[in-house]
Amino acid sequence: MTKANPPLERPHRQQILWVSLLVAAICAPFVRYLEPSILAFIGLILGVRLLALRWPKALPNRWLRTLLALAGIANCLATYHTLNGQDGGSALLLSMLALKLLEIEGRGDLRLVLILTGFVCAVLFLFDESFLTALYVAMIAGVSIVLLVELQGGLPGDGLKTAARIGAQLILQAIPLTVVLFVLFPRLDTPLWNLVQDQAKGYSGLADSLEPGRLSELVLNDDPVFRVRFAGERPSRRQLYWRALVLRQTDGRRWTQGESGPSPSPLAQAEGPIDYEIVLEPTGQRWLFALDLPLAAPEGSSLDPEYQILADQPVTGLKRYRLRSALDYRTAEPDEAARKLALELPAWILTPRLRRLVEGWRAEQPDDWAVVQQALAYFNREDFYYTLLPPPLGPNPIDSFLFETRRGYCEHYASSLAILMRLAGIPARVVVGYLGGEENALGGYTLVRQSDAHAWVEVAISGRGWVRVDPTAALDPRRIDRGPGTRLLSAGPVRLEPENTSGLVRWARNLRLFADTLEATWQNWILDFSAKDQRRLLERLGLGDWGEYGLISLMLIAVSLTLGTILAVLMHERKRQDPLDRLYGRFCQELARRGIPRLAHEGPLDYGRRVAVSKPELAPWVEGFLGLYLPARYGTQRGPETAQALARALKRRPWRPS
Amino acid sequence: MIALSLEARAQRYFDTLQRRVQPGPDGLARIEGSRIYILPTRTGFLYGAVLLAMLLGSLNYQNNLGLLLTFFLAAVGIVAMHHTWLNLRGLEIQARAGPAVFAGEQARFEIWFQAGRRPRYDLRISYQGEQMAPVAIDPEEQRDSGLQVPARQRGWLVLQEIRIETGYPLGLFCAWAVVKTPAKILVYPWPVPVAPEPGHDAGEGCRPQRTRHEEAEDYLGARPYRPGDSLKQIDWKAFARERGLWVKQYGGEQGQEVWIDWSAIELADPELRLSILTRQVLEASTISTRFGLRLPGVIEPVGQGPEHTERCLTHLALFGYDQGQSSP
Repeated sequence: MTKANPPLERPHRQQILWVSLLVAAICAPFVRYLEPSILAFIGLILGVRLLALRWPKALPNRWLRTLLALAGIANCLATYHTLNGQDGGSALLLSMLALKLLEIEGRGDLRLVLILTGFVCAVLFLFDESFLTALYVAMIAGVSIVLLVELQGGLPGDGLKTAARIGAQLILQAIPLTVVLFVLFPRLDTPLWNLVQDQAKGYSGLADSLEPGRLSELVLNDDPVFRVRFAGERPSRRQLYWRALVLRQTDGRRWTQGESGPSPSPLAQAEGPIDYEIVLEPTGQRWLFALDLPLAAPEGSSLDPEYQILADQPVTGLKRYRLRSALDYRTAEPDEAARKLALELPAWILTPRLRRLVEGWRAEQPDDWAVVQQALAYFNREDFYYTLLPPPLGPNPIDSFLFETRRGYCEHYASSLAILMRLAGIPARVVVGYLGGEENALGGYTLVRQSDAHAWVEVAISGRGWVRVDPTAALDPRRIDRGPGTRLLSAGPVRLEPENTSGLVRWARNLRLFADTLEATWQNWILDFSAKDQRRLLERLGLGDWGEYGLISLMLIAVSLTLGTILAVLMHERKRQDPLDRLYGRFCQELARRGIPRLAHEGPLDYGRRVAVSKPELAPWVEGFLGLYLPARYGTQRGPETAQALARALKRRPWRPS
Repeated sequence: MIALSLEARAQRYFDTLQRRVQPGPDGLARIEGSRIYILPTRTGFLYGAVLLAMLLGSLNYQNNLGLLLTFFLAAVGIVAMHHTWLNLRGLEIQARAGPAVFAGEQARFEIWFQAGRRPRYDLRISYQGEQMAPVAIDPEEQRDSGLQVPARQRGWLVLQEIRIETGYPLGLFCAWAVVKTPAKILVYPWPVPVAPEPGHDAGEGCRPQRTRHEEAEDYLGARPYRPGDSLKQIDWKAFARERGLWVKQYGGEQGQEVWIDWSAIELADPELRLSILTRQVLEASTISTRFGLRLPGVIEPVGQGPEHTERCLTHLALFGYDQGQSSP
C-alpha cells in the first residue's frame, strides 16, 4: 500500500560522498575510546569507500564484502574478546556501519546508514557526556536530517540548499516537543536489566593508599573532581580542606587505610556549621568528599569513626549530595586502642639520625603540641623545597628525604611528619583529599580539580582530640619550585600563596572558568536530571500523589498541546480569497491611488469606461486587464492559468509620476 | 502466486474503501485533510525501531543525553509526519485530456497542480501502479506534469482516478490521496500498416465503390455553402428555417470521390476491419481526395479536410460503443 520507496532509486555520487563523510565524522570521537586495530579497520573501509567514488572499480564485490564483514567481526573479537559490552559492542557497530557503505544499492541503504548514525550518536554518549560532545552530536544529527530530506528528493532547484532550509524548519519545530518529552518522560530509578560493568573504564583520582609520587601525577591532571555550592558565605580558601581518606597504617613507604576503629566518636564541639551541595564526577570509588569535618552523612552513605564518608555503592555516575560541616571543631579523644594503632611504626625505617632528631625535640619540649610546632619549624628552617619533580628516594624513603634530598611534594611532607610524630609518641595519621578550589563567580560555585589533590596530617593532642597539621603550609614560600609545570597550573594551589599572574594567564583562567560554567550548567540541567527531579516537579504542581501515572498523563497532555500548537501554526493559512477577486481588488487599489476610486455601485465595465474617459493614458492598460477579467469572471473562460495572465496584465500598468 | 493474488485482492479491496477527492464545479479537485491517507514507509518503521532501541538503552543506562537525542529524533519524526500530511492538504489538481491518439500510442494527460499558499515538494503521480518523477511547486504557483498512459484499445480512454503521493520531507511517512479525474481521451483504432485502396478490388471481393451515382440521385448530406456552389443545390428549406445557407450533397457529384465502406472488407474480426478502415481514412486524407465513410448504422458523407477526417476517425473509434459506456 505504501510505495514511497521504490526499491531501486540509485543515489547520486554526491549523496554517497556526504553520507560517507558523515559516518567518518561520527567515528572520529571514538578515536579516544576504541583500540587502534578497530580504528584501522574502520579507516581502511572508509578509505576504500572514498576511493571507489573516484574509481568505481575499487568497490569490492559481494564475496569480498562478506570476507571483509567476517574480518571485521574477527577483528573485534580479537581485540575485545567479546561482541558485547560497551567497547566490544560499539566496535562491532561502527565496523559494520562502515562496511554498509560499501554496499549501497539504492537510496534506502543510505537512509539506513543515516538512521544508524543516530544510534551511534546515542552510543557515543555512553562514553562521553560533555557539552562539546553534545554540540558535536547535535551538528551530526542536524546534517543527518538535512541529508534525509535531500535523499527524499522532489525539491526544486538546488536540492541541498532547500533541504537545509526544510531541515532547519523541522529541527526548530521539533525542539519544543523534545523539551516536553525530556522533562516529562518517566525515568527509571533502577535499570531494567543488569548492566555489565566495564571494568576497563579508568578513573583518575585518589587511590586508597599513598606513596611518594602518587599525588604529583594528579597535579598535572586538570579534570574536575567535584563542584561545590555553598548555601551561605564561602569560607576562605585556606579553610577548604576536602577530606576523603584517612590512612592509618604505614609500612615505611606506603600509607594504607588499615582496620577501622572500633566506634564512632562524636564531635565534642562543633561551631560555625556550613551547608553546601556537592556534584561529584564519577570516581569509581565509594568515598565521598566533605569539608573538614562533616557532621552527618548524606542519604545512601555512612560516616565512619575517622570522619570518612563512604557511599553504599561506588560512584559510577554523576552524584549530587548535600552536607553540613563544621570548620571549627574538636573531636573526641581517641581511645587507647586507637592511640596504639596511631603510634605503630615499622622498626626498619628508624635510623639513628632520625631518632636523634626526634629525641632532640622531645628533650626540649615535654608538651605534645610544642613538639608539633618544632617539627613544622624544622621544615621551615631547613632547606626543604617544594617541587613537582622530586629526585628518587633511596631504600629508606623517610631517612633519605629528611636528610638528603629534601625536595618533595605534599605527600612527602605529610608522610614524614606523621612518621616523625609517631616516633615522638604522638598519635598521627595521614589524611588525603583536596585543598582549596577555584571559585567560579559566573557559575556561583567552587570547582575542585584533580590538581588540587593534597595530603595532610592529623595528630591527637590530649584535650583537643585530632588536630589538623599541614606541613606543606609550613614551608618557606621562597623555596617553592617555580618551574613551568608548577606555574602553568598555579600548582601548590592554596597551600602556597598564588603568585601574581600576568593578564594573559588571568584571561586564560577566566576562559577556563567560563567553559567550566557551561559544563556545570550542562550537568545540572541535563545530565543530572532524574526521576527525583520529576517527582519534585510533580509535587510542585500538586500532583505528587499521582506518581508515574501523573507524569504520564501530564506528558500526554503537554505533548498534545505542543503538537496542537505547532500544527495550528503550520496550518494557518490566510483566508483563501478567490485569486480573481484578489487581483481585481489590487486593480481597483492601483486606480484609487491614481485618484479614481471605484464607486460603490460601479461594476467593472462602468468603472473601466469612466477611467478611460478621465485618464485616457490609462485606457489601454485598463482595457487589457478588463479584457481578461470580464470573460473570466462572468464567462466560462477560466482555468488555473487565468490568474497568472491577469497578474501579468496588472503588472503592465503605466508608470505613475509620484 | 496465491499469496500475491490475495495481496492484490486485498489491495483492491482497500482501494475501494478509500474516499476519493471529487473535483469541484470549476474542475479543480481540492485535496481536503480528511481525504489524505498516511502510513509509515519501510524507512519509517526502521526509524521507529532504532528509536525504540535508543530509548530502552538510554533509559537503562540512565543516560540523559541519549534520551535527549532519542526524544529529539522522535519529535523530528512526528513533526515530519505532519509536514507530509500538510504537503498534500489544500493542493488543487485538475487532469486535462491531451489530443486523441491511435491505439498502441501513448495518450497524454496534463495534470495541473495549484500549490496554494505553501510550497509543495516531492509530489508523485501514481497511476495504475506506475509512479512518475516527483515535482515541486512554489507557493501560489501552478505547474503541469504530463502523464503518459498507453492507449491499448480504441474508444474512450478515461483517466478515472490518479493517486498523488508524497514522502516529503524525510521519507519516513507516505501520504496519498486518490483523486477523481474525469478527463478522457479518444483513442482511434490502430491503423494497419498497409491497407487495400478503397474502391479497388483487393482480391478479396472488394468491389469498386467509385461513383456509381452518375445521376446524382443519392442524397449524401449537407455541407455549408461555399462561394461558387450552384443555386439549385442550396437547401432553401433550411434557409427559410433560418439555419443558414447549406448545400445539399449528392453522391457522385464530383469525380474524385471515394467511399470507405465497412462492407467492402470481408473479414470476420471487426476490430481488424476497423483498423483497415482507419488506415484507409488516413491514406485518403493525405492524398486529399474527397471521401465518405460508411459503417453499419453510421454514414459520414463525403467531405474533405482535417475536421472531416477527425469525424471519420471518431466514428471508427466509437463504432459499436454503447452511448452509456462512452460518456463517463
